[in-house]
Amino acid sequence: MAEPTPVQIFRIEEKRKQYRSGSFFLKIGILALFVLVPFVFPSYKTVDLAMQIIMFATLVASFDILLGYTGILSFGHGMFFGIGAYCVAFLIGKYGMPSYLNLALGFVTAALTASALALLISFLSLRVKAIFFAMITLAIAELAIVLATGLSHFTGGEDGISLSMPGIFAVSFSIGDFMGLEITGSVLTYYFIFLSCLGLFLLMLRFTHSPLGRVLQAIRDNVQRAEALGYKTFIFQIISITFGCVVAAIIGGLYAMWVGYVNPASSLEVMAIMLNVLLMVIIGGMGTLYGGIVGAAFLLITQTFLPDLQNLAKDFFPQATLLHNVLERWLLLFGILFILVVIFFPKGVIGSVQDYISRRKTILLGKE
Amino acid sequence: MSEAILKVEGTHTFIGQHHILQGISFDAKADAVTVLIGRNGAGKSTALKTVIGLLPSSEGRIMFKGNEIQKKKPYEIARMGIGFVPEDMGIFANLTVEENMRVAMLVEDEATAQRLERTLDIFSDLGKFWKAQAGILSGGQKQMLAIARAIVNDTSLLLIDEPSKGLAPILVDALIEAINQIKEYSVVVLVEQNFYMASSVGDYFYILDDGMVVHGGLMEDLVNDEELKSKYLGISKAAE
Amino acid sequence: MATTTFERWGRELTIAGAIVLFLLPLIGIPGKTYLTLTIAGLAMGMLLFLVASGVSIIFGLMDVINFAHGALFAWGAYVGFSIFQRLMNWVEADSVFQNFAVFLIALVAAMMVVALLGIILEKVIIRRVYGFHLFQILITFGATVVLVELIRVLWGPNDEVMIVPLTFSRNWDILDIIVYRYRVICIVIGLIVYGVIQFVLKKTKLGTIVRAGVENRDMVQAMGHNIFLLFTGVFAAGAGLAALGGLAMSIFSRQVYPDMGSTYLLFAFIVVIIGGLGSVTGSLVGALIVGLSYNYVAYLVPWAAAGVNVLIMIIILLIRPTGLFPAGK
Repeated sequence: MAEPTPVQIFRIEEKRKQYRSGSFFLKIGILALFVLVPFVFPSYKTVDLAMQIIMFATLVASFDILLGYTGILSFGHGMFFGIGAYCVAFLIGKYGMPSYLNLALGFVTAALTASALALLISFLSLRVKAIFFAMITLAIAELAIVLATGLSHFTGGEDGISLSMPGIFAVSFSIGDFMGLEITGSVLTYYFIFLSCLGLFLLMLRFTHSPLGRVLQAIRDNVQRAEALGYKTFIFQIISITFGCVVAAIIGGLYAMWVGYVNPASSLEVMAIMLNVLLMVIIGGMGTLYGGIVGAAFLLITQTFLPDLQNLAKDFFPQATLLHNVLERWLLLFGILFILVVIFFPKGVIGSVQDYISRRKTILLGKE
Repeated sequence: MSEAILKVEGTHTFIGQHHILQGISFDAKADAVTVLIGRNGAGKSTALKTVIGLLPSSEGRIMFKGNEIQKKKPYEIARMGIGFVPEDMGIFANLTVEENMRVAMLVEDEATAQRLERTLDIFSDLGKFWKAQAGILSGGQKQMLAIARAIVNDTSLLLIDEPSKGLAPILVDALIEAINQIKEYSVVVLVEQNFYMASSVGDYFYILDDGMVVHGGLMEDLVNDEELKSKYLGISKAAE
Repeated sequence: MATTTFERWGRELTIAGAIVLFLLPLIGIPGKTYLTLTIAGLAMGMLLFLVASGVSIIFGLMDVINFAHGALFAWGAYVGFSIFQRLMNWVEADSVFQNFAVFLIALVAAMMVVALLGIILEKVIIRRVYGFHLFQILITFGATVVLVELIRVLWGPNDEVMIVPLTFSRNWDILDIIVYRYRVICIVIGLIVYGVIQFVLKKTKLGTIVRAGVENRDMVQAMGHNIFLLFTGVFAAGAGLAALGGLAMSIFSRQVYPDMGSTYLLFAFIVVIIGGLGSVTGSLVGALIVGLSYNYVAYLVPWAAAGVNVLIMIIILLIRPTGLFPAGK
C-alpha cells in the first residue's frame, strides 16, 4: 500500500479519537467525577471547589476563544463576567423578584449588554492595533469597577447585592433524600450550573471546529495572509470576541446564582479574576479549550489546600521560616511558573501533551 | 583577474517557510561593479539582505575579505566595512538630512569629515537641504541621501538595492555618474532591473532566477548576447 | 511623515482643547479652589508623565508593550521608602539642604536598583519575545506578578505610610492661596525630566540613533549600531523613569502599597493612548490632560474621577485613533 497522505493520517487519527481513544474515556471520567461529587464528597468545601473548577474551566475556555483562537489578549474578561453577575443580580434581586422568568431575563440582559460592550471595545481598539485591546480593556474594566462602586444607589455599592433564588434553586427547597444525599436547592443549582457550563463548553467546541473557527486560527497565525485570501479579518475577530465575552457574561450570571451575592470586590475585581484566568489558561494551554479544565483544577485545588500545606510545612519544618514565607506568597511561585511556561511551553500542559502524542503517533504510523 | 572581496558560496535563505535563496553563489571582484539582474522574486534583494545579515542564511558560506560573516550580526558586518542601501532606501523621515548623516557616521574624525566633504561634492543637493527633514526630499534626493549615508564611513563594499527604481531618466543619468565616481574607492554590488543603468555602470553581471545564479560573466558580453537578454531579462532588440 | 496640514491642525486642536479644558471647570469651582486644583492637576500630570514617557519610549523603539512598568514603579517607591527609613534623622531634620540631600540619595538609589531590574528583565525575559506582542504582554504581566510578590516578601504585604522629608510637607501661602511646596517640586521635576529627555533625543548622537531606531530598526543595525545594546539601555532608562515616578508619586500620595503599580500603569496607558504611543511630547500633553481633568472632576463629582480619563481616551480613539502626537513609523 502507498504511503498514507497527511490528510489520510489526520482522518485515521480523528476516527481513532472518536470513541475508543484514551482521551474519550478521560472526558467521560471527568464528567462522571463532577456528576458524583455531591454524592461522594457532600461537604460544602469540596462541592464548592468542584463548582468553582467547572465555572472557571468554562470561563477560561471562553477566554481562550479570544486569546488562543483569535490572538487577542483582553484584560476585560473579568469585567464581562461581572456584568453577567450584576445583570442576573439586578433581575432577580434588587430590581426584580426571584422568578424563573426574571432569571432567564437576567441571562438575556447579560448577553445583550456584554455583546454591546464587546462590540464597542473591539471597534475602538482593533481599528488601531490589536495590542490596544489589552490596554483599553484594562482601562475600561477599571472604569467598570469605579462605576459599580460609585453609582452605589444603583448597584448597591461596595456592599453589593445579595439575592435569593427562585423555586427549585432556593436554599430552603428540598425534595428529600436520594441515595443518602438530601436533594436541596443548592444541589439542584449545582447540577443546573454544571449542565449549563457543559452546554457552553460544547457550544465553544462547536464554534472553534466550525469553518469560522478555522478562519480565526488562520487570522491568528498570519493576519496578512488571511487578508490576502480575502477574509475581512476585522469582522471575524469581532464575531469571535463578542462570542467569548457573551459566554463570560453568562458564566458570571451562573456564578451569581451559586454564591448568592455580588459585589465589586468579588465579581468585578479585574486583577483577581483576570490573574486567575490568565494563570489557568497559560498553565493549562491556550488554543485548546480543554486546557482550561487542567488549569482551573490545578490552580483552584492548590489554592484550596494551600493552608493545609502551610500547616503541614509548619509542623514538619518549624524552623524553615523562608519556606513559610514563600508558601505564604504562593502567587510568587505561580508567577514564576507562569513566566517559565510562557517561555518554554507556550502551549501549556494540554498543548504539550497533544504535541507529544501526535509526534508519537506519526512515528508509529511511519513504522507501520 | 583581480581578487574577490566578497564571496557568496552556496547560500540558502528562508523567509518564513519560503525557500528564497536556493544555494546562490557569486563574487564581487575588487575595483569593479557587480550587478545582480533578474526578474521580480528571483531573490536579488534577499541576497543583499543575507550578506548584510538582516536575513539569516541557513546554509552556505559568505566570505568578506577572507572572513566568514554569515553568522555575524548586521551591525558587526556593517562595522567591517560594508555599506547597505535597501530597496526602500531606509531614510529616517523624521530626522533632518544632517541627522541622517550623523547616525550613519560610526566615528566622527578627520577622515570622516573628509569623506563627508567628498560625498557632498558628489551629491550637492544634500548640502542645500542639510537642515531640512529628510521626509520632504524628493525620491531622487532620498536615494542620494541613502547612498551618501553608506559611503560616509570607510566602506570597502557597497550593497545598493535598485537605486534607479521610480526615478526619472535624467536622475538615472546622474545616479550613473555618481556610482562611477564611488567606484573609484569602493567595490559595488548593485541590484538593478533597469538594464540601461546596469550596463552603464556594471563590469560583471549575475543573472538570478528562482533563487539561483543561472548566468554570470562580463557585462560587455551580456550586452552583446541577445538570446540571453531575451530569455532572462525579457529584453528584445525591438523593444530597446 | 512630514508635518502635514492635518497634523498642524491637530496640534491647534490640542491647544484649543487644552485651553477649554483648563477654563471649563471654572463654571462649577470657585477661583481659589480652581487654582489649587490646577496646581495639583499639573503636579499629578507631571508624575504621570514620568511613568508614561517610559512606556512610550520603550514601545517606540523596541515595539514592546511593557506591562511590568507598574511593578517597576512600585519598586522605585519602596526602595526610596527604605532609604528614608535608614536616614530618618535627615528626613526629619529641619534643614532644607539635608531634606533635599536625602531625597536625592533615595532618588539615585531607586533609579539604580530599578534600572538594574529593568536590565535583568530585558535580557532574561523580554529578549525572548521580541516581535510577538501577545507573548510580550503575557510575559511582562507574569513579571509584574513576580515583582509585586517580591515586594510583599521583602517589605511586607501591608500598606505603609510614606515617610516625607520635612520641607516637602510644608506649604507656601501666596495671596491667601495655599500652595503645597511638594506639588511645585513635582512640576519642576517633570519639566526637568522632559527637558533632559528632549535634549538627549534631539541634541545627542545617542538620542539621534534612538530616534532613527524608532523609525527603522533594521537600517540602524545595517549602519553598524548594536541595536540590542540600545534596547537594553533604553529599557533601563525607562525603568529608571518609572522608579523616579514611583518615588515622587509615593511622596505625593503619602503611601506605598505593593499593588500601587497597577493603578498608575492604567493611568500611563490612558496617557499614552491619548498622547500617541512612542511620542514623548504626546506623553507630556496626555499626562497633563489626565492630571488636570482628574483633579477637576474629583472635586466636582468625586466618584467619576477615574471614569473621566477613560472617557477622554475613548473620545480621542474615536476622532484620532493614533493619539494626539502620533510617532513616526
